[in-house]
Amino acid sequence: MLQIAGLLLMMLGLYGLLTNRNVIKIILALNILEIGLNIFIISIGFVRGGEAPIFSSETTSNALVYVDPLPQALVLTAIVIGVGTTALGLAFAKQIYAKYHTFELDEMGEE
Amino acid sequence: MNIALFVAIPLGFAFISILHKKLAPILLIAASLFIIVGLSFVQNGETVIGGFEAPYGIHLLMDSYRLTALYIVNILFLSVVLLNIRKYHQMSTVLLISLTGLNGLIMTGDLFNLFVFLEISGISAYLITSTNKNPLASFQYLVAGTVGSSLYLFGLILLYAMFGSLNLADLSMQVSQLTDKTPVLLPFLLMFLGLGVEVKLLPLNSWVKGILKDANTLSGPMIASVYAAAMSLVFGRILIDLFVFEGRFIVIVSTILLVSILAGEAMAYQSKNVKEILLYSSVAQAGLVVLLFVSGLASWALFMVMANAISKMILFTIIASASEENGDDITVLQGIFTNNKLIGFSFTIASLSVIGLPLFMGFVVKMNALNHLFGEQMFLAIIAILLASVVEGIYFVRLLLHLWTPSETTVTFDIRMKAVLFALAVMLIVFGITVEPIESLKDTIEIGLNVGGTSWRI
Repeated sequence: MLQIAGLLLMMLGLYGLLTNRNVIKIILALNILEIGLNIFIISIGFVRGGEAPIFSSETTSNALVYVDPLPQALVLTAIVIGVGTTALGLAFAKQIYAKYHTFELDEMGEE
Repeated sequence: MNIALFVAIPLGFAFISILHKKLAPILLIAASLFIIVGLSFVQNGETVIGGFEAPYGIHLLMDSYRLTALYIVNILFLSVVLLNIRKYHQMSTVLLISLTGLNGLIMTGDLFNLFVFLEISGISAYLITSTNKNPLASFQYLVAGTVGSSLYLFGLILLYAMFGSLNLADLSMQVSQLTDKTPVLLPFLLMFLGLGVEVKLLPLNSWVKGILKDANTLSGPMIASVYAAAMSLVFGRILIDLFVFEGRFIVIVSTILLVSILAGEAMAYQSKNVKEILLYSSVAQAGLVVLLFVSGLASWALFMVMANAISKMILFTIIASASEENGDDITVLQGIFTNNKLIGFSFTIASLSVIGLPLFMGFVVKMNALNHLFGEQMFLAIIAILLASVVEGIYFVRLLLHLWTPSETTVTFDIRMKAVLFALAVMLIVFGITVEPIESLKDTIEIGLNVGGTSWRI
């Protein structure tokens, strides 16, 4: 279920990227795509009924089912990178607005 | 010497350069020089990061292929930096970060780590292109690059779900042991498309035109030469180590490559704008390089990347510098070499090497690659390479005639630029005449290559 939700969000983001002609909306679509991907990555490591992947003195048995921690670590990195890209995209959006006085790609007089 | 320093030193210097802005250009040159000097002290092998042995932890690898790749990328990087540091000193921190990303990309043996370095070098590339003063093009590059790396990440996470590993060598072993390879083709296709954006393969390269048509002496050679070389070498390494080519995947990949080569050359032939000619020609060359990689000719593909990167560095620097005042229409630039014989000489050698005429490095590479392809009877690839060379011949000679025809135009070039570009041009001739260094390097590279994937016949 979680995987399908992630894939749907990715498709939605991709659709937004292909159809929107507004700089800010393109950045939003890019973020939706990334969030969908992140949810998908999390879902890869999810185990139904699994424990948090923390091994401590209170853990009673080695045979417990753990949730895979690696995808969570990957997503953490991917989120940070996503924030960086979004910030840079917004900075470019600001420059674009300063140059063309619009966010609409069609009104800029260039391709 | 610990190879992790090639990533750590530029990254550390980048942080220092934020605190001491005046030191930034010196730190950049120091880091770049340190890496080039340090490369002669490295030994083959792997460096474990964080104490977790492979395949659990991240590790950096070094072999002849990666060493050659590092030499190519770092020497060209230093040349671009030395030519531009006075004018673009405010980009020093960004350039340090991009050096971190590019070196990491080449050395890493972990697919997720590769994604991180892809994004680091990508973000610094977007910032480098912001010196073009065309924010719209930089924005489009950012969107294309981010979608590309998301596709790559999607592909690698599917591989992780299947094999439970992100280690390149481990994955390559597990993939080669599969009897039915159909399930891995989807992640491979996603990764191919994702990296194809960075390598400028058609139709994933809509960003290239916006970026390179306004390119200046920093962003032009940086994107068209240094980044293009690093990305193709990393892409090639994944293609030969990991990918398997089967079924529909072959059809998709060969269509993308042939369209890139032929359409790239056709658009370059049609263009009247010097930068457009060069940028479409580099699209075609990117296709050719990937074609050689998927045909299993890794070392010749490596040398082709090297020859192309040197040539593109010369061509883009000269044209970006000459067109700063007058624009880059082919008629405006007519006769710029009349008073600049040395620059004209370097430009001519670079373009003749791209075409693949004898005496130049491009010839040695193309000749040997064709020779091998004949041996394997891969005629479609041979036709593509020959056809591309003929079209390249026509538009480059036409371009050269225009630029050499005497006229009133006077453009002055920086003396340092003349010297650096002349040295690079001489390198193209040296490697074109003396074949021994390339031949012996080829042998050591092929010993180090762990060919896990399969090559295919086109």
